[in-house]
Amino acid sequence: MKNQWIYYYTGMVSVKVTGKGLERFINTLTREKVSIWRVKRHGVSAMSFEIKVEDAHKIRNVVRNSGCKIEFQRRTGLPFLMKRAIKNIGFFIGAFLFLIVITLLSNMVWGIEIKGADPATEYKIRKTLDEIGVRKGKFQWSLGTPDAIQKSITDRMDELTWIGVELQGTTYHLQVVEKNEPEKQTEYGPQNLVAKKKATVVDYFVEEGKTVVSLNEVVSPGKVLVSGTIGREGEEQLVPARGEVLGETWYWTEVKLPLTTNFQVYTGNEVRKHAITIGKFNIPVWGFGKVEYKQSVTEENKKPIKFLKWNLPISYQQSTIRESENETRVYTEKQAYTVAREMARKDIKSLIPEDAKIKGEKVLRQLVKDGKVNLIVHFQVIENIAEPQPITQGDSE
Amino acid sequence: MAKRWGQRVRNWMTQTMDLPQDVMMDLPRITMIGQIHIYIENHRGLLTFSEKELRLLLKQGQLLIKGKAFVIKMILPEEILLEGKIEHVIYLEE
Repeated sequence: MKNQWIYYYTGMVSVKVTGKGLERFINTLTREKVSIWRVKRHGVSAMSFEIKVEDAHKIRNVVRNSGCKIEFQRRTGLPFLMKRAIKNIGFFIGAFLFLIVITLLSNMVWGIEIKGADPATEYKIRKTLDEIGVRKGKFQWSLGTPDAIQKSITDRMDELTWIGVELQGTTYHLQVVEKNEPEKQTEYGPQNLVAKKKATVVDYFVEEGKTVVSLNEVVSPGKVLVSGTIGREGEEQLVPARGEVLGETWYWTEVKLPLTTNFQVYTGNEVRKHAITIGKFNIPVWGFGKVEYKQSVTEENKKPIKFLKWNLPISYQQSTIRESENETRVYTEKQAYTVAREMARKDIKSLIPEDAKIKGEKVLRQLVKDGKVNLIVHFQVIENIAEPQPITQGDSE
Repeated sequence: MAKRWGQRVRNWMTQTMDLPQDVMMDLPRITMIGQIHIYIENHRGLLTFSEKELRLLLKQGQLLIKGKAFVIKMILPEEILLEGKIEHVIYLEE
């Protein structure tokens, strides 16, 4: 028994036969090795069946001697389906274009929503977004990642404390936190000024209150510097003590600096490549050829292409290959000490308040060990050591 | 006389050598799947075919199949597969 489904791929024809001696006609056909199937009887003098397309001319020879009439009816199978498909190609092109348009539209920016900003800030944010190219109707793959957008907005706008950028479908959602500068306290309750840390008092400037400290006095943390209790004994009044007390404080810092350091630096040469990734396959679109850098750093930026709300397994990939070089920096001991001291100074500046001044510095220890310079530097710093401490009822007695 | 002798030899051979009888004796082999399919090998041609009846020529006699909604699924010189609702399978002796 043969499989007729195979004939689907080569094409089949349905035939209608009319006349007398139809059974004999079918017997002759089978003897001629024409395979026929789905034989049906229609009334007394008609039958229908299906044959292969190739057998169509064979059947004509048989008909000539039989006295029957044949009529070819429907042609089915893949070749005829293809023919019909070609005839209706406009429809297929339309369907294909529709998919392309939907995909393009799914990858556009359709809205930008800003939450948590007052109208003025919102206007500014929209302007900034416009400058960096984020606007309605742009393609998402031409824009940076939400993180990159977030960074460039934060860099451009000072009045924002934080901005969160999130891409949901085709809309960018921006969550804004504005900087709310705290209002300056204008009214003070009764307070003392006390020492913040151990220091030697070098200068003071008192706006209100009774000065308790004297110059060159060594104070320990918590000691009252300017008292908020004024007036003669028995007629004391409580006032908010205000002022600055400058004290000399000490800091020390330790710096370790290797004499030889290896750096990786970029030479400035770079190659950009664009590709479309389908699953695991990479189809280069622009930037062919091998990169002949001895050393390089590759940065990849992948953008998935969306269809409606789904991410397709296709993505657009942009990679930047930057040539890099190794560079070795060698310090002599003398140079290393200078650099290390500079580093110590920078280090101390991050530790002390902004308005503090460095009065003097002293190297406590310097030695070279294991190819590293070890340096301990001691700093004398002048800073405001006064700290307000409210006077509560219990304290005033 | 000679034909009868041949028949006898064949009969004897199938019995003693345990060969399939359809091969040796040119008998039809009929396979039925429930009522819906009937598959006949070793026929000698179509005699009549309609929706309710199929008559096949055999080497000896005829085979008459009666039923409803008959469609020949496939026909080859010696094989036929009939589909429909089969009600009777009758051997007609000449």
